[in-house]
Amino acid sequence: MTRRILGRLAQLPLVLLVIYTLTLILAWAVPGNPLDRPEGRRPPAEVIEALQRRYNLDSFWGFYGSYLYSATGAKWAVEELDGTAQDRRARFEADGLAPPPARVFDLGPSLGYRDWSVNDVLAGALPVSMLIGATAIAMALVLGVLAGVIGAVRPNGVIDGLTLMVALVGVSLPTFVIGTVLLILFPVWLGLGAVGRWGSPVDVLLPSLTLSLPFAAYIARLTRLSMVEVLWADYVRTARAKGVTETGVVMRHALKNAFLPVLSYLGPATALAMTGSFVIERVFSVPGLGQHFVEAVRNKDLFLIIGVVLVFSTMLIVFNLIVDVLYGWFDPRIEG
Amino acid sequence: MTKLLIPLVVLIAAALGLFMLDEPQEPADFVFINRGDVTTLDLSRMSWMQDLRVAGALWETLVQNDVFDQAYAPQPAAAERWEVSPDGRTYTFYLRPGAKWTNGQPVKAEHFVYAWRRGMLPELAGDYITLFQAVKNGRAFTQRRLDETARFAQEGRGRPRPDEARALWQASAAWFDSHVGVRARGDFVLELELEQPIPYLLDALSLELFAPLYPPLLERYTSVDPVTAQVRVDAGWTKPGVLVSNGGYRLSGWRFKRDMRIDKSEHYWNAAALPTRSILMPSINDPNAQVLAFQTGGVDWVSDVIPDYRAEMLDRKRRYHERFADTLGRARAAGVTDPVALDRLLPPHPDLNIHAFPAFGTFYYNFNCNERFADGRPNPFRDRRVRKAFALALNKQNIADNVRRLGEPVARTLVPPGSLGGYAVPEGLPCAPDPGAIAEARRLLAQAGFPDGKGLPEIEILITSDGWYSKAAQASAKDWQSNLGARVIVREKEVKVFRDDLKNANYMISRGGWYGDFGDATTFLDLMLSYDGNNDRKYNDPDYDAMMARARAQTDPAQRLRILEAAERKIIEDDLPLIPVFHYSQVFLFDPHTVSGISPHPRQKSNMLLLARLGPGQKGLEMNRGAQTGGGAAQGAPRGVPGAGQ
Repeated sequence: MTRRILGRLAQLPLVLLVIYTLTLILAWAVPGNPLDRPEGRRPPAEVIEALQRRYNLDSFWGFYGSYLYSATGAKWAVEELDGTAQDRRARFEADGLAPPPARVFDLGPSLGYRDWSVNDVLAGALPVSMLIGATAIAMALVLGVLAGVIGAVRPNGVIDGLTLMVALVGVSLPTFVIGTVLLILFPVWLGLGAVGRWGSPVDVLLPSLTLSLPFAAYIARLTRLSMVEVLWADYVRTARAKGVTETGVVMRHALKNAFLPVLSYLGPATALAMTGSFVIERVFSVPGLGQHFVEAVRNKDLFLIIGVVLVFSTMLIVFNLIVDVLYGWFDPRIEG
Repeated sequence: MTKLLIPLVVLIAAALGLFMLDEPQEPADFVFINRGDVTTLDLSRMSWMQDLRVAGALWETLVQNDVFDQAYAPQPAAAERWEVSPDGRTYTFYLRPGAKWTNGQPVKAEHFVYAWRRGMLPELAGDYITLFQAVKNGRAFTQRRLDETARFAQEGRGRPRPDEARALWQASAAWFDSHVGVRARGDFVLELELEQPIPYLLDALSLELFAPLYPPLLERYTSVDPVTAQVRVDAGWTKPGVLVSNGGYRLSGWRFKRDMRIDKSEHYWNAAALPTRSILMPSINDPNAQVLAFQTGGVDWVSDVIPDYRAEMLDRKRRYHERFADTLGRARAAGVTDPVALDRLLPPHPDLNIHAFPAFGTFYYNFNCNERFADGRPNPFRDRRVRKAFALALNKQNIADNVRRLGEPVARTLVPPGSLGGYAVPEGLPCAPDPGAIAEARRLLAQAGFPDGKGLPEIEILITSDGWYSKAAQASAKDWQSNLGARVIVREKEVKVFRDDLKNANYMISRGGWYGDFGDATTFLDLMLSYDGNNDRKYNDPDYDAMMARARAQTDPAQRLRILEAAERKIIEDDLPLIPVFHYSQVFLFDPHTVSGISPHPRQKSNMLLLARLGPGQKGLEMNRGAQTGGGAAQGAPRGVPGAGQ
């Protein structure tokens, strides 16, 4: 087990390198100048020229190399070893100031928001998105599994039909509709929570609920499907024959196996939910990560595009790994 | 069973842990939603209105416009007085000896010089570098620095040479000190020597970009790149707790895409006059959420209202006004012109909270004026008669009334009428549906060789894929089709691609628009100079360039304005490199009864130091009547000492 985990982690840098290369090729091919403003004034040619040189935007390979140099931590290591970093710290300390944080993995500056580094952006947005994502997946898990189990116990009954309908609505209604409805219902009409504020527990609930619905719907369908199958399995019949109560059969015996497909879905779902949603962040004014996936491309903000893609890829790989570990633990047949 | 709960427990624990990371924000005296997220607080790189607005609160420039004065006259700010030499080329500013940075250190003339040098460095500068270059040898300094660093990088071939790079930078700085016309004479006297007189210099200097910088702070974040010898500044200096500024407020919080908070600076020389202690700017980007946030309370001012339904909101306000036509009529007869002051005479009502103020900007269509299109086909718009025909045949009123629906005035000129004192805008051309205009358009088109549009290629209107442009372009295409017989299609592109196309003149007709930066017609008219970086039309007329050069050389201000008027007439009546369509409005949401300090002046600049939430019995500021008496807090906000200087 440990060896498998270590092996998978060892692959991580390689996978990320491939993803970085592909992302950069695509982002580089996007037309438009990242240093140009979408409206109004255009800086004179000499300013553009100097900036191009500053960010290595004048050559693909120059950018490719220099980004790798600082993002992999090589630059940090070199500066620590040759004394540059110590010099810098000493200069600040001589002035009685806290030195700027030294980042091992320096993902570069944001071209759209010039006062922020990609590290700053991610450090601010990622916890927020992870918070909403974790809450949303927890909600989806409770809602989805409950609805799925209820539906499976009485297949094709009224409750099953109802949950199917709700699930269908949850999957098909776009989140900006659900979000806006919730926004008008709770803060505007009922006066619960506030619009455009972020910080109190109430502010977390509405966006998380909106985000959870499509996941909940999918989980409900998954649970119901495998539950219906499992409930006809031999070992369940045996359990029934031994006189185990119906609740006991469902909760203790059937659900354990029926849960496995849900578990394998949880890996990518959590990664997806935790990296934010552009629409939900906009509707609820949540300072999360999802907006950067869209705005970074719109601004042709190369550093930020690569930064968010790398974060997403890392999370996807890590969560799939966690799910694999859990899987083996849930279902001893898979151990190997 | 317990195993099944593990994922759930893990998720909830993670959520709780993440929630604990966050620290809540304490309430502020005034809350407003800025036009967008602040992109930078680095003065030399600013360009967006929202950035400049915050900069105006954090920093203080030498002079500042009185935004509640119709004439918009520059008032003393960081400088308590100034002198201008008889030839208009040398300005001497006397700084306030008591002025202090947010860290308590005195503001000195050398700090202005430092900021100026930074504003002209090609590697650090931004869109407004040309304004900095107006001083003697300004342009030469930038060019010299650019050449030197390019040569340095070439010679080094990627080899780091830290000592040489620093030496080069020191040499550049020394050249600046000995050649460029920005000098500190002692601690509190700043002298500017210009290449040629600039009649609107004081107005331009009130742009926030010309604020001083605190060199001890900047220097710590500055390094010289050992390979390129370019100066680099780590953005860390603009962060809360680090930033040192000289204005009425200090930066006390800035969380990316979340909120920004500023608090009154105790060291500001005029701190006692500030009506507000703290201002919070939450980051709300969704247009609908902005309005909801205002309506559910907690937000005092929305500074750019964009949802489509704003037109209906303005309609409701008009109807509310009609109910009080008598009151309003009497007040207007008594000389009240300020729209906010008029609103304050009426009983408070949610319908009153929306405001559309004229802005210092114009929407227009660009023509590509090159001989040929980018694909090599001959360009019919190289002929001014064709351009004029298209201008005459466009129903501008229709776009203003049915597409924009904000009551914006149709534009016959580029410079919004009434926005500049002393400058009389030319009359401009009539346009469709006026039958005379249409007939004249058809005649001109026939004269140019395209009778009834025959022989014209399929015309493309290039727009961006956001907002209302599509509707406006469709309406315009229909006008040109039915009035001129031209075949017109609309092409939408993503904004970055659009900008590239414009720059490379890869279009036929495109949407365009411009907001003026300072109080002079050249802020609009310079766009048409053949060599201007923002001349997207590639309009190239030696006569026009010569006229503008004559205006620059003219020392008599009145004569100069007459030349500029003639230049604008040439643009909008004869040559038409662009069609002015309407003058923009700026739509705000704020309660006139509880909020003060937002100016309705067409120059549309806000003085953040005047923003205040009114307490019971307090009166708000209003145009042309100066600071209000009564109501302590809003009184006599920092406008310097009227009448000093000049």
